[in-house]
Amino acid sequence: MTENKNNDVLKVEHLVKSFGTHEVLKDLDFSIKPKEVVCIIGSSGSGKSTLLRCINGLETKTGGSIYYHGNKIGSNLRELNKFRTQVGMVFQSFNLFNNMTVLQNCMSGTTKVLKIKKEEAKFLAIKYLRQVGMAPYINAHPAQLSGGQKQRVAIARALTMQPEMLLFDEPTSALDPEMVGEVLAVMKELAQNGLTMMIVTHEMTFARDVSTRTMFMDNGYIVEDDTPQNIFHHPINPRMKEFLKRYIDDLDKN
Amino acid sequence: MEKGFMYWIVYILQQYWPYFIKGMFVTLWISILGTCLGYVLGFLLGLVQSTPVAKEDGLGKKIFYKIIKPFCAIFIGVFRGTPMMVQAMVIYYGLKTSGVNISPFAASIVVLTLNTGAYMAETVRGGIISVDKGQLEGGFAMGMSHTLTMFTVVLPQAFRNIIPEMVNMFLTNLKMTSELNVIGVAELYFTTKTAAGTYYRYFESYIICAIIYLILCTIFTKALSTIEKKAFAPKDYELAVEYSSTAE
Repeated sequence: MTENKNNDVLKVEHLVKSFGTHEVLKDLDFSIKPKEVVCIIGSSGSGKSTLLRCINGLETKTGGSIYYHGNKIGSNLRELNKFRTQVGMVFQSFNLFNNMTVLQNCMSGTTKVLKIKKEEAKFLAIKYLRQVGMAPYINAHPAQLSGGQKQRVAIARALTMQPEMLLFDEPTSALDPEMVGEVLAVMKELAQNGLTMMIVTHEMTFARDVSTRTMFMDNGYIVEDDTPQNIFHHPINPRMKEFLKRYIDDLDKN
Repeated sequence: MEKGFMYWIVYILQQYWPYFIKGMFVTLWISILGTCLGYVLGFLLGLVQSTPVAKEDGLGKKIFYKIIKPFCAIFIGVFRGTPMMVQAMVIYYGLKTSGVNISPFAASIVVLTLNTGAYMAETVRGGIISVDKGQLEGGFAMGMSHTLTMFTVVLPQAFRNIIPEMVNMFLTNLKMTSELNVIGVAELYFTTKTAAGTYYRYFESYIICAIIYLILCTIFTKALSTIEKKAFAPKDYELAVEYSSTAE
């Protein structure tokens, strides 16, 4: 039971996820406030992606509850789908629909799920494609775009749903170093515009400079959950210190 | 005086050509109708087979799939596991004995539909599996239901992937219809058998038959591959210049 006293967008209570006997998420508790930009860092296999996928129901959680503005997200598919229109997701592998053009991709959610009229949906699609700099490519198919372009379209597609919050699952991990920048720039702009975001990332400088809050996950636990200032400059946990050492060159340079 | 090979070919054609043409059209009709209906059946079966039933689904849906899935599996198993010739006999005479009077032509279409459907079901299932799971998740993440994502995203891509196999199936069916002569449908093979029996010229008659099949298959192979290439040629896209000026 929870009362929504403090205006949390998302509240996670005692979240547990196991794959068979392997426990990936171990009793996680946290909440996200409006306009927070939360970066989740940690080594591979620490449960970062699983956490995001449990939040929007792509993985069925083993235990615990998730609340959206105080309302529990049950297992009811209709409720879950409604929640998903308000909390979007951007994937590492983009997951643009290969059988549709860029424009059709960006109109699919609005016309088919939100049932918005075609003209209005097109207006929204172009608006957000412009924002990510992909509007000239409306007639292209995903296969004809570079990774960075695909990810920008994927972000625009998620934005057309006009979500309150977006979950990013390693959005730049499948990209060439050259293309990482263009995607991060788009995300930075979203953060500045006040979109609530949860971002699983290996881009430490981005986490340090853009996030309002950083979580460090290790072995299924959220080990540290603090301002990026404290996390990156005064890490307490020994695992966190060890983890940051590997990125120290990167962090110093920028 | 012994009459030569070419003499008989010409003679049989002269005497019998309307029947060969008629047989050819019967063969064409059975294969086209049977294959197309089989495609539809196969898509339905393949879809049912590859629909996961989740814990969260309604009771009605759960019960429906609990019953219909094993039924589909049995159907596919039986029709892939028995020769079409035997299926034709069982269905045609089975219906006759139980008082349903069905023409050999209609029975042929039914048999070919069921047979194609069974094979097609597995092809469709394979096609669906071949589409990256991320495509489904991309739909789910925007609040699309499983059915909606399936029909708007996965199936169009699966369809694209299995077209070569569908063409292949049609060509196989074109030739397999010859097996249906056992229930007395006057298709090309049956006609040839009659011609051969009439003139006691088996070799020449079947050479004519073989040539007609070869011509049909060649025409369809060429035509279908041309259509496929035309329809799915990679298209260039045009930059929408009207939107390029104001990127931000």
